[in-house]
Amino acid sequence: MNERAPDLVIRNLRAKVEDLDREILKGVNLEVRKGEIHAIMGPNGSGKSTLANVLMGNPFYVITGGEVLYKGRDLLEMSPDERAREGLFIAFQYPVAIPGVNFASFLRTALSARRGYQNELIPVAEFQKILREKLDLLKLDPSIVTRYVNEGFSGGEKKRAEILQMAVLEPEMAILDETDSGLDIDAVKVVAENVNQLFDKAAGNLGIVLITHYSRILQYIRPHQVHVMLDGRIVISGGPELAEELEQTGYEGLQAQFAEVAAATPGDQPVRRAGKVFWVAH
Amino acid sequence: MEDAAVREGFDRATVERLAELWEGPEWLRRRRQQAWELFRSLPLPPPTHEAWRRTPPERLAWDGLGPVLQERGDEVARQGLDGLRGDGPALALHNGAVAGSWGAERLRRAGVVFCDLRTAAREWPDLLEPFLFRAGLRAEENAFTAQHVAFATGGVFLYVPAGVELEEPLVVADWVDGEGLVAPHTLVVLEPRSRATLVQRRTGPGTGLVNLGVELVVRDGAQLGYAQLQDLRGPVREFGVVRARVGRDATVRTLVASFGASLEKLFVESVLDSPGGASEMLGAFFADDAQHYDVHTLQEHQAPHTASDLLYKVALLGSARSVFAGLIRVHPGAQKTNAFQSNRNLLLSPEARADSKPELEIMANDLRCTHGSAVSRLEEPHLFYLQTRGLTRQQAVHMIVEGFFSEVLDRLPVERVRWWLEQKVAEKMGAEAPLGRVAALRGLLEEVAQSR
Repeated sequence: MNERAPDLVIRNLRAKVEDLDREILKGVNLEVRKGEIHAIMGPNGSGKSTLANVLMGNPFYVITGGEVLYKGRDLLEMSPDERAREGLFIAFQYPVAIPGVNFASFLRTALSARRGYQNELIPVAEFQKILREKLDLLKLDPSIVTRYVNEGFSGGEKKRAEILQMAVLEPEMAILDETDSGLDIDAVKVVAENVNQLFDKAAGNLGIVLITHYSRILQYIRPHQVHVMLDGRIVISGGPELAEELEQTGYEGLQAQFAEVAAATPGDQPVRRAGKVFWVAH
Repeated sequence: MEDAAVREGFDRATVERLAELWEGPEWLRRRRQQAWELFRSLPLPPPTHEAWRRTPPERLAWDGLGPVLQERGDEVARQGLDGLRGDGPALALHNGAVAGSWGAERLRRAGVVFCDLRTAAREWPDLLEPFLFRAGLRAEENAFTAQHVAFATGGVFLYVPAGVELEEPLVVADWVDGEGLVAPHTLVVLEPRSRATLVQRRTGPGTGLVNLGVELVVRDGAQLGYAQLQDLRGPVREFGVVRARVGRDATVRTLVASFGASLEKLFVESVLDSPGGASEMLGAFFADDAQHYDVHTLQEHQAPHTASDLLYKVALLGSARSVFAGLIRVHPGAQKTNAFQSNRNLLLSPEARADSKPELEIMANDLRCTHGSAVSRLEEPHLFYLQTRGLTRQQAVHMIVEGFFSEVLDRLPVERVRWWLEQKVAEKMGAEAPLGRVAALRGLLEEVAQSR
C-alpha cells in the first residue's frame, strides 16, 4: 500500500441514533487514500449503513466519540453540503424520491455547487455537454434525467441514478452503500462496470468505500482491502482473499469467535484480527 | 361605519365623479348609483358567517380611506408589464387609468376589443351592457361587491367575436399605488367558438385597499385561459371575486397566483351552466411573515356532462396563515359530471398555519367526484439527500418548494407565466434566481426525449 497520508482517517468513531441510548458504532477505525477501493462487509445491523450516513453528516445520528479527518480537516465539523462540495459522495442504499424536482435541473444545481458557482448556475451548454458525456459513459437511458428525482424509479434505476450523480459530480471520496442490494445479477454487473469506469477514469483521484452485505459485487469490483464489520466495529481487515474466505465461512462463525475475544477484552479497546487470530489493538 | 364611509369620500359625489371619469352611458351611471345605495344599506357580513369565520370582515374595513381617483395613468405603471409583455398586445393601467396600450389596433381589425374599461364604456357601451356587473358579479351580493361596483376605478375589457382564435396571450398590468381604495374590474367576453388567453398582473406599492372583480364570460364552444398574478408590494389588503360562466362545450382555465399584499380574501368560482362545459382551476400561493390568505373556491355544476379540475397549492413561511375552503356543488340533474379538487399546503416554518376545508354538495347520483387536501411540512430526509449533493440547506428548501409548485407550473401553457412564478418563488426564498429553471433546460430535455 502506498505511503501517502490517507485522505480519509476514521479514528475510534462512535455514534448512536438521537433518541436511543445504545451505540451503533462502537469505535470504528479506517484509513482510505484516493486511488484505493475499500470494501466493508458485514451482516445486517453491524453498523455499515450507519457509518456511511455518519460520514455524510446525516442529522439522524449523534456522534458520541472519536474523530474523522478528511483531507486533513475535521469532517465532523462540516455540514453535509460542505462535505459534498469538498468532494465526499454517498450513493444511498435507499435514495429518497423528491416529488416535483426535475432530475436534470437538480443535477445542474448540484454540479454548480460542486464546482464552486455562487448565486449562479453552470451554463446550460456546458452542463449539457457534461451530462451527455456521462450518460454515454454509463450507457444510461437519457430519459431518466427528464423525470422527477427518484420518483417512480425501479430499484435498478435508483442505483444507476446514484452512480450518474457520482459521475457528474466527480467526487474524490465515494461511499457506496449497498449499491448492489436488491439488484439481479445482470444489474449488479452493469452497476459494477459503471463504478469501475468511474474509478479508472479518475486515474487515482478517487477513493471508494464500498459497503456490501454480499461478496457478489466483489467479483466485479476488485477492492484493495476488505474489512469486516461486526457489532459496530471493523474487526478484520485483509486483502481481497478475505471476501472469498467469508463466502465460505459466512458471518456466523466469525461472529462467535469475535464475541469470545471481545468478552475477554477490557474496556472499549478495539478488537481486530490479523491472519486468523483476533487481537486487541493498542 | 356608514357615517365614517360617507365622511371619507364613499359618497354619491364620488360615485358621480367616477362616472364622469368613465364617460359611460346612462345605464352604467344608474348601475353604479344603485350599487352605492346598496353599499350604504348593506352591513358587513357577520363574522360568524361560515365564509368569514377565519378572516373577520373588519380586517377589510375602509375607515380612513377614500377611493383613488386617478384621472390619467403615469408611465411608472408600465413597469408592471416587465418580463411578461413579449411583443404581443398589452395594456398598462394605473389605479384603473390607462398608462399605455400596445397592439390593440391590430386586434381591432379582427373585431377584437382589448382596451381599458373607461374607453370601452365610451366607445363600446353596447358590448358591455349585457355583461358588466351582471354576468359574473353583482352589487347585491354583499357590502364588498356593492363597494366594488359603485367605486370601480377602471379596468380592462376583452371582447373576442365568434370564431376568432388568438394565439398570442394578451397581457394586462394593474399598477396600484397610493393609500386609498382601488377597485379594478376585468370583463372578458368570448363569443362562441373563439379562443384567447389573458394574463393579468397586479402589482405596485399601494398601501390601502384593493377591491377587485373579474367577470369571465365564455360562451358556447369558446376557450379561455386566464392567469391572475398578484405581487403587490405594499401592506395592502385585498378583497376579490373571480367568477367564470362557462357555456356549452366551452372551456375555461384559470390560474390565480398570489405572493404579495398583507391580506387577501378571494372568491374564485366557475359556474358550469351548460352541458359539456369544463373548468380547470389552478392556484399557487406563497405567503411569508404575517401575510394572511383566505381563498374560497366554487366548482358549480349546474348542467350534465360538465367537468371541473381544481389544484391549489399553498406554501407558507414565517408566521403566515392561509385558509382554503373549496366547494364542489353538483345540482340535481347535473349527471355525468366529473369534479376533482386537490389542495396541498406546505408549511416551511413552525409558526405557519394552513387550514384546508374541502366540501361537497352533491345533488346528483351519476357522477365522478374526488377531493383531497393535505398539510405537510418539509421532510428532513429530502433535505439531507439534496444537501449531500452540495446544495446548502437554503437551496435544498428552495428546490423542494420549486418542486412543490411544479405540479401547477407544468400545467401552464404560457412560458412567461411559468418564468414569472419561478422568479416570485425565488424572491420569497431570498434567492437571486430560480434554481430549477426547468425552462432553461427544456431544449436539453426535448433533445434527450428525442434521442431515445
